Amino acid sequence: MMTDFILFLPELLFIFAALLFFMFSLKKTADPAGFHKWAVVLAAIGLLVTVASSRQTGMLFFDCYRVDLFSQVFKVLLALGTIWVIFSSSELKGINPRQHAEYYFLIFVCTLAMMMLVSSVELLTIYVSIELSSYSLYLLVPMRRNADQYVETGIKYFMVGVTASGLMLFGISLLFGMAHTTYVPQLIKTLPAIITQPGAIVGLILALSGFFFKLALFPFHIWAPDVYQGSANQVTTYIATASKMAAAAMIIRFAGLSAGGSPGMIKLLIVLSIASMTFGNLVALIQKDIKRLLAYSSIAHAGYMLIGILSLSGRGYASAIYYAAAYLVMNYSVFMVIMKLADDGHNLQIKELAGLHKRSPLLAMTLMLGLFGLAGIPPTAGFTGKFLVFAAALEKGYLFLVIIGMINATISLYYYLVVIKAAYLLKPVHEYPAVHVDAWTRCMSIILVIMTIYLGIFPDQFVSLTEAAAKTLF
Amino acid sequence: MAMSGFPILTAILMSTVLGLLTILFIPPEKTKLIKQVSLAYASIGLVLCIVLYFSYDQQKGGLQFVERVLWVKSLGIYWFNGVDGINLPMLLLTSVVLFTGIWTMWELEYRAKEFFALMFLLVAGVYGMFMSMDLFWMFVWYDVSLFPMYPLIAIWGGTRKEYGAMKLTLYLLAGSALILPAIIYLWVQGGAHTFDLFELQKIGFSVFDQKLTFVMLYFGFGILAAVWPFHTWSPVGHVAAPTAVSMIHAGVLMKLGAYGILRIAMTLCPAGLSYWSDLMALLACIGIVYGALVGLAQTDLKYVIGYSSVSHMGVVGLGLATMSVNGINGAVFQMFAHGVMTALFFSSVGYIYDRTHTKIIPDLGGLSKTMPVASSFFIVAALAGIGVPLMASFWAELLVFIAAVKAFPIGGIAALVGLIISALFMLRVVQKTFYGDKNPRWEHIPDVPGFLAVPRIVLVSIILFFGMFPKIMLDVIQSTVIPFVNRF
Repeated sequence: MMTDFILFLPELLFIFAALLFFMFSLKKTADPAGFHKWAVVLAAIGLLVTVASSRQTGMLFFDCYRVDLFSQVFKVLLALGTIWVIFSSSELKGINPRQHAEYYFLIFVCTLAMMMLVSSVELLTIYVSIELSSYSLYLLVPMRRNADQYVETGIKYFMVGVTASGLMLFGISLLFGMAHTTYVPQLIKTLPAIITQPGAIVGLILALSGFFFKLALFPFHIWAPDVYQGSANQVTTYIATASKMAAAAMIIRFAGLSAGGSPGMIKLLIVLSIASMTFGNLVALIQKDIKRLLAYSSIAHAGYMLIGILSLSGRGYASAIYYAAAYLVMNYSVFMVIMKLADDGHNLQIKELAGLHKRSPLLAMTLMLGLFGLAGIPPTAGFTGKFLVFAAALEKGYLFLVIIGMINATISLYYYLVVIKAAYLLKPVHEYPAVHVDAWTRCMSIILVIMTIYLGIFPDQFVSLTEAAAKTLF
Repeated sequence: MAMSGFPILTAILMSTVLGLLTILFIPPEKTKLIKQVSLAYASIGLVLCIVLYFSYDQQKGGLQFVERVLWVKSLGIYWFNGVDGINLPMLLLTSVVLFTGIWTMWELEYRAKEFFALMFLLVAGVYGMFMSMDLFWMFVWYDVSLFPMYPLIAIWGGTRKEYGAMKLTLYLLAGSALILPAIIYLWVQGGAHTFDLFELQKIGFSVFDQKLTFVMLYFGFGILAAVWPFHTWSPVGHVAAPTAVSMIHAGVLMKLGAYGILRIAMTLCPAGLSYWSDLMALLACIGIVYGALVGLAQTDLKYVIGYSSVSHMGVVGLGLATMSVNGINGAVFQMFAHGVMTALFFSSVGYIYDRTHTKIIPDLGGLSKTMPVASSFFIVAALAGIGVPLMASFWAELLVFIAAVKAFPIGGIAALVGLIISALFMLRVVQKTFYGDKNPRWEHIPDVPGFLAVPRIVLVSIILFFGMFPKIMLDVIQSTVIPFVNRF
């Protein structure tokens, strides 16, 4: 009993945090600064506990819930993403102060749900977890101040999301019908024998589409640009960093079900990956709003991540985990700068970055390294991630796919360079207000810069960690 | 394999990385200090490279000063550095060009901190690419050397700088879209356990794989080596770039492309080379003739040098395509000679441009009367470009053409004609810019002061030294090229 308790400790902590903020939300007076302090402390404890329990293993809840290295790696990433977002919420101007308690409540609930998601090994548990996290996000997105302008955002996100979960539920029922079980470990045993049958393939693909929606993979991407643009900056950051981790984890988990996979399914995934990369990168070329640009870049990155996953090999899954971790760090670097520059909560335009290198050299450098990382330029984590993903795909002989991936990386470099050019080259048309960089942000920038480069140059331990994590899938 | 003694190669690499880090901690307004620190770190690199060059044992040959540490276990990536007769001249060239380049930029005041920091980042990539013997690291360093070009040109550049910078960056990184898949493909075919160049060489890939990866690597690296028809980024980029960046870019970076073809493509895919060598020779000859012809029509001094670089890099490509000892010897020597020569070219044009704010040939004229020293530097470079005896490039071109006429009679002769055209346009430029009527607008301009003349004098003396004693370099190159060619 006691050991079960310890296994579930990180989740319990987030439940506690969520309940606490639920209480706060009932209070008549709002104290945003106090809330922020509480949230930072709780998220920090959450991160510490998650890291401390990262080597735990065991089964819970009638074998529906598995704690292993794979789930724990992703829980650490989720806790990391959460604390970063909460940390950047000190000036949460995009959301009415009356709603700050609800904001933190929903963030903690969503993190809890995603932590449960990455540990679930039973289809209905997975479904319940993903719905819990989705509904938190459905509420977070329209929370933005003067939301009237962005009403469309909330509705669009909800409609697309509900459709995707409907498809997913249908896929799950097909899988159950074919394999007569909802337990993932048993599915792994039974599915390979029937994977060539249409029912199983359709079921698996449909079940995957729920997660494709979360990852914003083509053709489930249409919500991304509007939601990125329409949500408060902090919520966008949360969607762009933490929630992608859970999606990546679950796609890897489901892809692992297919063992070798069938040729038809692999072809479909290749097509989706190419479409996602190409579409995301081409549309990103013409964006003016930086959050919209990052939305399209996230569509492209979903495609890169899928390259690793569709190789359906241990090395492929490991590379996708590495890619996800690198993506978290680099994407957060960029978003942190955005949140800092738009501290009144407006949508930052690319041209507003003009002269950033003078206003704050440190933020400019963080932004540049983050963007170079996203573009896949060595010696950053983004390059090593791409390298691992491509190596896994080539091992399976997908030379053509890798060349298309590299061409896409070159295309993407253009729009990242446009942003870097704005920060380092453009002269501001009028004086922008001085950037207030506090000591915490300064520390955070340096940590992110070091992480980006360290992961890129010394990947050895991380690669072996992800490979060990991928092994626990089977 | 353990490191034997002092890791001099890593030390050379670290001289740039530490330089970069030191500069980051100096406040931006102390430009004088930044330049002194930069020059100090560049001279550490230069001294180490000279020591390295003269302590290389040419009797023994082969790979020396080896450092090999396992880096990423599950993929078989090694921190594997070493020098042989091919990359030794390249390292020396890099250190010389960095040193003289930084000295040339002594008058830079605008955002000096960022400029020198980026220069060191760029050169770290170049050093790394030249000394590494592991395909993963080679690619990493290759890309590291490319992307600083964008800010360097876009911020400090001249004519059409943003266009030039973007074009150059996208072209060169498009090249890596072919290189990276080819490298990983070879790794997979070699059993997916090592990126070590020499272990991969032992594996012996199938002829199909060699043909496929050779052509991918050839075009990938060929873009950086300005192989016709992928050269168009090069003159535009040269013209847009500030002086020291042009020097490093034309002097060293373009060699990186040719070096990549020689070191990776030709080493791992000899069968691919013999299959594609006709194409290589054809493109090289077109490049030589085309560069010379287009150079004839230019009115901008930097465009002239840019197109002459296309032509001269064609000579390197032609030498490599011959697959003979003379040809490859000449090609490597030409890489060195051309590097020093273009560095001198851009350095001397840089001074003229800084003072007159023009590099349009008809606007200049008669400069040899107002600034004889500055003019003499350019004229020496032009003579080296023509390939006059006593200049280093004379020997290089001689070797290449001897081999080329033997291997590809028609192409070789066409290339020789191209060389004559290039002599014509060089002399025309020299005549129009430095002789003829004096332009009264430039009369008040002082000649190169002694301090700024130093880097140019260093470059001139290197050209003349290796022109008079080519054996010092050829022996080193040959010690590696002969065993290399015997494998074909």
